[in-house]
Amino acid sequence: MAKKRVVVIGGGLAGLSMTMKLSELGISVDLVSLVPVKRSHSVCAQGGINSCNDATRQLGDSEWKHLDDTVYGGDFLNHQPPVKEMCDWGPKVIDLMDRLGVTFNRTDEGFLDRRRFGGTLYKRTAFAGATTGQQLLYALDEQVRRWECEGLVRKFEHFDFSAPIIDDQGVCRGAVIQNLHSMEFLALPADSVVIASGGPGLIYGRSTMSVMCNGSAASRCVQVGAKFGNAEFIQVHPTAIPGADKLRLMSESARGEGGRVWVPRKPQDPRDPKTIPDAERYYFLEERYPKYKNLVPRDIATREIFDICVNDGLSVDGDKMCVYLDLTHIPRAELDRKLGGILDIYQKFQGVDPRDVPMKIFPAVHYSMGGLWTDYEKSSSGGLVVGSSRNHETNIPNLYAIGECDYHYHGANRLGANSLLSCIFTGLVVGPGIETKLSASKTAAADLPSALFENAVAAEKQRQKAIIDRPPSSQNPYQIHLELGDVMTRAATVVRRNDQLRSALATVAELEQRAKVASLADTGNWTNQNVIFTKSLQDMFPLAKAILQGALQRDECRGAHFKPDFAMPSLTAPTRDGRLLEAEQWCDRFEENTAKWVKSTIATYDKGDMKLSYEDVDTSLIPPRPRLYGLVGAEEIEIVWNRRAAAKAQGNPHAAKAAASPAVAST
Amino acid sequence: MANELTFVQKHEFLLRRLHSLTGLVPVGLYMCVHLATNASILNGVEAFQNAVYMIHSLGNALVFVEWGAIFLPLLFHAIFGVYIAYSGQFNTSRYSTGKNWRYVLQRITGLIAFVFIFAHVAHMHGWFHVDFWLQLMEKMGLAQFKAYNAASTAAAAMQANLLWPILYLVGIAACVFHFANGLWTMGITWGLWITPKAQKRADYIVWGIGGLVMLLGLSALGGFMTLDPAKAHDIEVRMYEESVKSGRIVPNEHKLSHPHVSP
Amino acid sequence: MIASAKPSMIKIRVKRQDGPGQSSYWQNFDIPYEDNLNIISVLQKIAANPKTRDGKTVAPVAWDCGCLEEVCGACTMVINGRVRQSCSALIDRLLEDAPSGEIVLEPMSKFPVVRDLVVDRARVFQSLKKVKAWVSVDGYYDMGPGPKQSRAQQEAAYPLSECMSCGCCMEACPQFTKVEVERKAGESEEEYQKRAAEAYNVAFVGPHAINQAVLFNNNPTGQFAKAERLDALMEPGGIQVCGNAQNCVAVCPKHIPLTTSIAQAGRAVTVHAIKKFFE
Repeated sequence: MAKKRVVVIGGGLAGLSMTMKLSELGISVDLVSLVPVKRSHSVCAQGGINSCNDATRQLGDSEWKHLDDTVYGGDFLNHQPPVKEMCDWGPKVIDLMDRLGVTFNRTDEGFLDRRRFGGTLYKRTAFAGATTGQQLLYALDEQVRRWECEGLVRKFEHFDFSAPIIDDQGVCRGAVIQNLHSMEFLALPADSVVIASGGPGLIYGRSTMSVMCNGSAASRCVQVGAKFGNAEFIQVHPTAIPGADKLRLMSESARGEGGRVWVPRKPQDPRDPKTIPDAERYYFLEERYPKYKNLVPRDIATREIFDICVNDGLSVDGDKMCVYLDLTHIPRAELDRKLGGILDIYQKFQGVDPRDVPMKIFPAVHYSMGGLWTDYEKSSSGGLVVGSSRNHETNIPNLYAIGECDYHYHGANRLGANSLLSCIFTGLVVGPGIETKLSASKTAAADLPSALFENAVAAEKQRQKAIIDRPPSSQNPYQIHLELGDVMTRAATVVRRNDQLRSALATVAELEQRAKVASLADTGNWTNQNVIFTKSLQDMFPLAKAILQGALQRDECRGAHFKPDFAMPSLTAPTRDGRLLEAEQWCDRFEENTAKWVKSTIATYDKGDMKLSYEDVDTSLIPPRPRLYGLVGAEEIEIVWNRRAAAKAQGNPHAAKAAASPAVAST
Repeated sequence: MANELTFVQKHEFLLRRLHSLTGLVPVGLYMCVHLATNASILNGVEAFQNAVYMIHSLGNALVFVEWGAIFLPLLFHAIFGVYIAYSGQFNTSRYSTGKNWRYVLQRITGLIAFVFIFAHVAHMHGWFHVDFWLQLMEKMGLAQFKAYNAASTAAAAMQANLLWPILYLVGIAACVFHFANGLWTMGITWGLWITPKAQKRADYIVWGIGGLVMLLGLSALGGFMTLDPAKAHDIEVRMYEESVKSGRIVPNEHKLSHPHVSP
Repeated sequence: MIASAKPSMIKIRVKRQDGPGQSSYWQNFDIPYEDNLNIISVLQKIAANPKTRDGKTVAPVAWDCGCLEEVCGACTMVINGRVRQSCSALIDRLLEDAPSGEIVLEPMSKFPVVRDLVVDRARVFQSLKKVKAWVSVDGYYDMGPGPKQSRAQQEAAYPLSECMSCGCCMEACPQFTKVEVERKAGESEEEYQKRAAEAYNVAFVGPHAINQAVLFNNNPTGQFAKAERLDALMEPGGIQVCGNAQNCVAVCPKHIPLTTSIAQAGRAVTVHAIKKFFE
């Protein structure tokens, strides 16, 4: 029998941690990436990586609290067993990264320094300056290079993943990849294929994501039958720097280190911001959220900034929307030590030193909570059965998904500094499961009849030839992409309305037709970026439709998905008793909504269209409760809710635990 | 693969470090001693002649010292230096920082020094002290220096043609720059000065040394250019006779200028 | 900062090459001026409408890019004669510095051209293998935290660790010369890569790899393999090739103290070589 191999698609944090773990287990890996893996999008992650730690533990923190913050921040759409496992592994993951040489910031005594991030009251976040993702990625890249020297890893850098190879039984047997320079196709037989290709930000045109985050790998799996979960949950990061080519991230750590968000109380106050006295500044997050202040979860911060600019008309600039993110009260040396990397980015692209002048920032598409549907095996303690080959397997046998392109961990809204954890964690935890998978099978993919692989390559060659041979047309793929980004950004970001979503769906369908006839400026067969882009553009449409349809059908507000037409009302009665009464109705409606909508949206591809269905979410550990950050009447709702929860708790120990740590509400 | 490597590639580290080392010891240090000896001309013909007597007291061993401790290391430094200069690609047109210019100048001054020293040894020393060869060289106006008529022959040789002092001025300046800047890069190469601040401090030191050595060079050059060879010759003849008599030196026809008599 | 009259068109001159081993040629493009453009957005506009100044439709210019915020290193090229990332090369700034109003884009000259502005930087990553730029941990099971480190240690290591292997230091280094291994007919990709790696291995490793060797030699666990890294730095193409022009530190977009690392490595190698000689 030939040696069994695993193909990993994507060399970011998830793909690299998977590759490194498999190598340790003695499994050979073919690592495929559009870019040299050291240039993967994970380098853009800035703020840090979360885990409960010795210091927070003594302030009452625990892995359970981390789980609770994550699912509460995620509005209970997270699948709790994998999240529990992730939070349990958190401290171990950070210890490992420390051992691998990550240059985490240190305290005076030499321990890892921690900062606070959004959606929690604990300083859980370990960080390496403001380039934590880069530092973590480099550590993993180095380990994988070591295994490459040992002969266990073959890298295919500057290769595009064209399609998974599926046999007659519907089992994944490998991947077709394409050399981006020679344009040659290659079939890699594999006993498992792991998709770790990150997010699909390019569907939105400009986002905080890198140019290779086009979602094509996930889409190509969807187009052969893989299910896609929670597509409509797209995180819009509250603080980014607008640019012509990209919206550059300004990390949440800027607020974690004390950065304050404000606008002048006088609309478009022309004064130099430094000269505007405190009384004339509106620190709207601090005023509206006295408990979390500037560190409310991202979906909330984003909506507030949007609201301040669009509804209140308080945008700093008249012609474009932005608010101040102010660090100027923090000593320079401290800023350089903890945030140097991101402040340099701002200075470089805006030409202004944010140590001296408040930054102008605005929300931008940042992360996809949704992704390929995958399975898992729940353990008796409520976490994952480590070593189970079901963990992170898609509905296509032998095809796995990890990292940003899976869908379990972040529910309806991701907490800052949880993505680095989920990416590294999924790589590490799924490795042993794949080992189980490989040892269970009696044949190796490489021993299968070669026709399977030859046919797969032939199909991809045919697809490309058809695109190159298109007759000249006025349709230009880059122009279509611009329009797609525009319509997606308008319809499916911060605020969503059904009429807009419907019209966007129609526009996207039309764009898809145009993309099918778009002709290429380059029809050559050497480093033809034109044809690669056109293919990825066409593959954006299934996911774009999944996002829009998911958003259209979900008539509620949950995390990043906000539909004002279906928002839960604030309590309006003037008296406390009146509000308590209202709170009863509010809680009834909440429970009804929970029963209906605490469900994953599952999109499947059907001859060019996306079909939606809904799947239950495992909320057995922490039952859903109202997310009351900043709501008017939160106090009364909390009273009513806690009463109900206590009544229910008698039968359910997990619920009792949750009731003991009631909804953290403010106002 | 390894067997395809050239000798230089295979021993690249050793050769480069030897190159760096020979630049200081013996080549650089010898240059300092040599220029200091020559600058002693400012103390008079006697002082210079005495210094030369001292060197030549080595007698027959001198040739081994010359070749073993000076010429061969110098030739190694020079030839390998040419290899180094040609293995790099100048790019000051794109990156015109001071350090990059110094990198370029180090190589250019090295090449100038190579030519200059080759000419200088031929001009004064003649390279090989074999009769027929020396006669040939002398006919061409080379191999002019005679140890027992040190100052007069040196001065005469320098004053024979205006091109010589110009060549010497350029040559000495190149050597001194090459030496001082070489000290600085050597300090980095061997890990003596590490940080940019330390390298800045080292800069002051090496250019201080460079300035002093240049001063020695200019003194020597000025000394020989202003010396009257005839007068010097008289003094040397007297010193020669006395020294032979006292047994301080061994008579040697090759180390005398001809005719060797006072007017 | 008040820029003089802004041009209506941005003149872009691109050095193009259709493939490895082919000859290069120049093409000119005019792009309508907009505020806040960078080289990436200009190249995107050329890709969307690849017409030269004289109206000829040509193949779009190929180039590499990734993060667009100067942390991935992909989009490095030579812009107006100087190597840098094209994402952070802002048009307004370039126009201030280039009175001719023309912006010249060239591929890096020290790496083999793949196409147009795309170069093959495999040598950059090969050098990381050569100096064993990693911490050799026993495995990835939970073994508790790594050794404690002082803040000073972290602050010394962090800047070195910010290196994104972009190639700027190598492009600007006069001692780093191009190695281009030509493909042989009928040769498999693997054979070619092996041959290229062998050629890269004996050519100068460059400031980037020396800096990484220092980073890992200073790591509390990484230092266990210090001798191996120093041996690597003494091999053909090692630290001895450095000519101290110090262009590396001048062009490094991350302001990594490369020359400090080189001097540190120089000292370590000196001690190591002497010790080895007399041991």
